[in-house]
Amino acid sequence: MAIEKEGLSGAESLAKTRTYGKFRCHNPSCMARITVEPGATTCKCPKCGLEYRVAWIRPDFPRIRGPVWDVNKRIAEEAVAARKLKQKGGK
Amino acid sequence: MALNRKIAYIDLSTGKIETKPIPLKARKLFLGGRGLDAYLLYNHTEKGVDPLGPKNTLMVSAGLLGGTLASASSRTHIMAKSPLTELLGSSNMGGFFGPELRWAGFDHLVIKGKAEKPIYLWIHNGEIEIRDAGYLWGMTTTETQWAIRKELDDEDVKSAVIGPAGEKLVRYANVMTGIKDSAGRSGMGAVFGSKNLKAIAVRGTMDIKIAYPKDALDYNKRFITQIVSAKVNQTQGTLGTPFIWGATNSWGGIRTRNFQYNQCEYADDIEPERFDEIAEETMGHYHMAGCFGCQVHCRAKYRIPSGPYAGKYDEGPEYTSQGAFGGEPDCKNAVTVLTGNHLVDQWGVDNLEIGSIISWAMELYELGILTDKETGGLDLSFGNDEALLEMIRRICFRDGWLGDILAEGGIRASDTIGKDSFEYLIQVKGMSNLHSDERATPALALGIATGSRGSDHLRSRPAIDLYHLPEEVLRKVYSNPVPYDGPLSSEHTSYVGKAWEVFWQELCYMGVDCLGICKYHTTFLGATLPNFEDWSRVIYYNTGMELSPKEIWDVAERTYNIERLFNIREGLTRDDLRKGDTLNHRYFDEPCLRGAPDVIGAKIDRKKFKKMIDEYYEHHGWDENGMPTPETLKRLGLDEEPSGLV
Repeated sequence: MAIEKEGLSGAESLAKTRTYGKFRCHNPSCMARITVEPGATTCKCPKCGLEYRVAWIRPDFPRIRGPVWDVNKRIAEEAVAARKLKQKGGK
Repeated sequence: MALNRKIAYIDLSTGKIETKPIPLKARKLFLGGRGLDAYLLYNHTEKGVDPLGPKNTLMVSAGLLGGTLASASSRTHIMAKSPLTELLGSSNMGGFFGPELRWAGFDHLVIKGKAEKPIYLWIHNGEIEIRDAGYLWGMTTTETQWAIRKELDDEDVKSAVIGPAGEKLVRYANVMTGIKDSAGRSGMGAVFGSKNLKAIAVRGTMDIKIAYPKDALDYNKRFITQIVSAKVNQTQGTLGTPFIWGATNSWGGIRTRNFQYNQCEYADDIEPERFDEIAEETMGHYHMAGCFGCQVHCRAKYRIPSGPYAGKYDEGPEYTSQGAFGGEPDCKNAVTVLTGNHLVDQWGVDNLEIGSIISWAMELYELGILTDKETGGLDLSFGNDEALLEMIRRICFRDGWLGDILAEGGIRASDTIGKDSFEYLIQVKGMSNLHSDERATPALALGIATGSRGSDHLRSRPAIDLYHLPEEVLRKVYSNPVPYDGPLSSEHTSYVGKAWEVFWQELCYMGVDCLGICKYHTTFLGATLPNFEDWSRVIYYNTGMELSPKEIWDVAERTYNIERLFNIREGLTRDDLRKGDTLNHRYFDEPCLRGAPDVIGAKIDRKKFKKMIDEYYEHHGWDENGMPTPETLKRLGLDEEPSGLV
């Protein structure tokens, strides 16, 4: 039989790359890993400043529930305005 | 033997039933499930056949590993020419029907003709009977299943059934088993209805002999470890699939108000945690359930907490219902989503398609293309929860002018409505897109544009592309079992290497669809989940059949090419907006208006997209028009394949 019985499969060997207790920022141009204080209900990305509401699958397993709407909308609007200004040659 | 299940040819016009063994050669070339079904469809269906006529051939099957010791081997596959797209019709459901079909002695059913009056098939321990279903006609999907159990005096009977929508030939009616498991896409329920086939009931006690039971169990333990340790599956086991919608909406990847916006803002009441709260309140702490052989348990049990359907039991909602009855029509009310989910389950219609079609109609109403005259006085404004639920009813029962034409599917409805209505229809090959917005994710856009059954997130989506995984991780996943040294990019806004990702995922999903395994148990939402290498071992331990990972890849590629050939035979051409590998112009012309800073302004670049399609065709071995080349067909053994293989 040609089937290898021993050794990890490729998928199994990738298990060591998993990270627990953290999640990635949802901003596509950021994607920084964010570590959340135990029990926190909100967090701020240290890299891009977007803020998220946090939910907990388990006490050691946080996830992003959703954006802090007002904050992230404001940041996005400011970023878009700055981008437009830059495109027009402003500073 | 796990390979001794049979194929049954059932002619509903004549009542003739013939059963045959499935040759090992057919297994090695196509495995089972979607693989062998595609072969059968191609060879048993004439070009240009009316999908709702008696000559359309309907396939119902379990996967090769269905009902064995392999994890999550629950899936049932259904295939025919689609009444919605007039191309490949193919859909897949979980639950317990597929394994039961195998325990009853069969792997594949090939159903032809049309019964004179409503019937159902009763399949039990090698026997098949055609029985009267007159008294079942008009029943909901749940009522039908319990009525059959009562008639047969056996509560363990599993049935695949249609509801009123299938009987009324709604072109995107589904086939259901259990309370919520549905073969939803491409209108297989309408094909059942067109044949007067109300249900297929199965019950079996014929053991499947496992080739190497100890090894199969040992390896399944490893398989399970991989499954349950994945973060994505732990999240699914807690929140179900709604977590996908929530995560995507967070950055702006959800289409809202049909396709006007890419984020449903302030939608806290339809976030996954809210549905979890309702499930906990109405069903208690242990409210998650699973399909046959699954450890993930991604379906929530719930009762509708208020409104006209208060107290009704259902399961889900899946993220598709969240999008269809929440984000797309901009109805930010959990009870509306749960109620819509319940209605489509009971009446038997594809939640994704009906929600998208209604949201499209809402945009037409906003634009004045549809008026109160066409809606029969219904205020079809976005955010009108009552109008949404009323339109579900009208479509499922073909009630009123608008309900009747929307039941025909988007393209036919746009032909009837006229004006510019087609411009606003978000579809590929006649099938509505998922609620996701792919303008910021070129790989996902390519996937929906090229799906063999129309716009599709379950047949090629490289979902792990969104995780920003290091290139070495991507390379480890995407260079196996076939070496790939071309470019790959961790950036999900990039066009680089995405054609290969889509190609690889197509064949990966084809693999599980042939084996009858759930997609949440492979490289769909997590990079660390099993694929070709693991399946090779699982197939051997359970069936004794030796197939290398590369040979499984070849099966998948062979089957994908048969699906392509079927579509080409039925009129697919590359740039056809109705039957081709392309997207609605809004993907290219209208930028995203909401979401994370760099998502705002995103749209698909036409030139880069065209180049991606060229690359994708090249990976497949297709020419610039998307036709498989003679060399490709020869390599896959499809150049001289006899039609009489099974």
